[in-house]
Amino acid sequence: MSFSNTETVENSKDLKQIDLKLKTNLSLIAFASSLALSFMTANPAQAYPEYQAFVEKNSKRSINCAMCHINEGGPVGNSKGQIGSLSEEELKLLSKARIAFEPGSDVHSPILNEFGNKIISAVGKKKFLEYKTSPEKLAAALGNESDLDTDGIPDAQEYLDGTDPLNKFHGEPVKLFWINLNRCKTHVILTVLAVISINFGLLSLVKGISSIKKK
Amino acid sequence: MSLNSVINSTFQFVKDRFPVEKLNYHSMVEKKEVPVHKMSWGYYTGGLTMFFFMIQVVTGLFLLFYYQPTVSEANVSVEYINKYVAGGSLIRNMHAWSSSCMIFCAVLHLLTAFAMKSFVKPREITWIAGVLLLFITFTFGFTGYLLPWNQIAVNATKVGLQSIEYIGEYLPGQLADVPRIIRETFQGEASVGQSTLGRFYALHVVILPLTLVSLLGLHLLSVQIHGMSQGVDKPAKKSEKFMSIFIFKDLSLWAFIFLCLFTVSMCIPFESFLPYPLLAPYNPLGSTPAGIKPEWYFFFVYYPLEMLPFWVILLASMILVGVLILTPWIFKGASRKTLGFLTILASLYLVVMTIFGEQIYELFKH
Repeated sequence: MSFSNTETVENSKDLKQIDLKLKTNLSLIAFASSLALSFMTANPAQAYPEYQAFVEKNSKRSINCAMCHINEGGPVGNSKGQIGSLSEEELKLLSKARIAFEPGSDVHSPILNEFGNKIISAVGKKKFLEYKTSPEKLAAALGNESDLDTDGIPDAQEYLDGTDPLNKFHGEPVKLFWINLNRCKTHVILTVLAVISINFGLLSLVKGISSIKKK
Repeated sequence: MSLNSVINSTFQFVKDRFPVEKLNYHSMVEKKEVPVHKMSWGYYTGGLTMFFFMIQVVTGLFLLFYYQPTVSEANVSVEYINKYVAGGSLIRNMHAWSSSCMIFCAVLHLLTAFAMKSFVKPREITWIAGVLLLFITFTFGFTGYLLPWNQIAVNATKVGLQSIEYIGEYLPGQLADVPRIIRETFQGEASVGQSTLGRFYALHVVILPLTLVSLLGLHLLSVQIHGMSQGVDKPAKKSEKFMSIFIFKDLSLWAFIFLCLFTVSMCIPFESFLPYPLLAPYNPLGSTPAGIKPEWYFFFVYYPLEMLPFWVILLASMILVGVLILTPWIFKGASRKTLGFLTILASLYLVVMTIFGEQIYELFKH
């Protein structure tokens, strides 16, 4: 009995210790969870699929996260341009970009490409989050001044067309045709003259050969 | 039939198609007349196909200076050509646009030659060489598609090569292994990779051009020996000298087409028709992006393949190839009216499947 009493006392001591450890662990877990939760709420680590869905519907072209992000798979992950791969310095840049709520900030987010950074810089994070429900407004907010790839089609239009705003060889074909025709008219005119001259020369040559043969 | 008579009839067949007495400049060029009638435009389609092939050769040679046929360098080298080589993007666009134009003209040439009954004696060899040239042109398209090593290139090639293996399921006995062997030979390794790129590159820049030039030589020689076919039922009242009236017109047309090609290549990057995710460098670890499909000139077989059982398409393709090769004998007695009707039907199918194939497929799917 005594033995059992001693055992009960020891057991109750053990239980208290276990309880204490458990409480400590639970509070640690709770702290970590709340920290992670607050971090995730304040800094959502996902891309915004609303924009992608809108562009695909509007342009009837399939696009991916690479329109605004460095990585085509979006910001989450450990590959290049994704959060898991960022250095301490880059994480600081990311945090800075995430609090760029107002337009006009100098944004250099390491998970966004030039166009993504341009969007946050031009409209601010606050408006950008607001436009999630009406992504068509983003084009108007971006304006027609910016053309990062210098293909002649404004970035906002490329966003609506679902074409790559950072590749000057990618754009809506008909628009590119008229823009490039206007840009290269001198080349085209010179080529027309050259081809007419060469053709005239060739025809004269054929005519000459033909008349020699007749004689 | 004795062996001797077989040899004699074969010899006579070749002699009739390549008469030695006509193998001279006078018969083949000076004396040659081109009939003038409502279908005369059909005579220019062959020349145009050859013109686009010449553009392919010239632009392809320029691209060879910079293109690197390795999986790590291929896409980077294409990007380098586009961005940093003077005139690189123009040359690359001309290569891409003219490849499509070449295939379009080759198909148009085949259809007009069929409608004009240009395959009857003594032009059987011209026809067969032409059909083989068309197949080679399609193979050019298939092998060239892989070379930029981007998402659409590699994934579409995977699908294409896989389709070859499926044929084996419908073949009896040991023949069933042949398509797999063919696929493995072209692929060179377990999946589409460096060996495949190397083999496709060799095919695209050496083997196919040499084969095409040889067959083209035979085709042109045959055309020059026998002259242009009559083309219409009633003999044309008018005709024009091949040298130099027809050549004049042909060269002028080439000049005009070159200007159009130059302007289009200068202004519209060929790849701008594709969604940009498909143009990203191929990532073997990434998922296959949506929208993988072959070039537009394969739509006539690709969309039916998506909608109908494989064996139906396989059977139809085999019949088509057989009919194309044996056309001079199958349609020997057919009237030009019948041939014209069949040509319209074939053209309608090709146009509808190429332009509306995707919509038809979507309708079919739902």
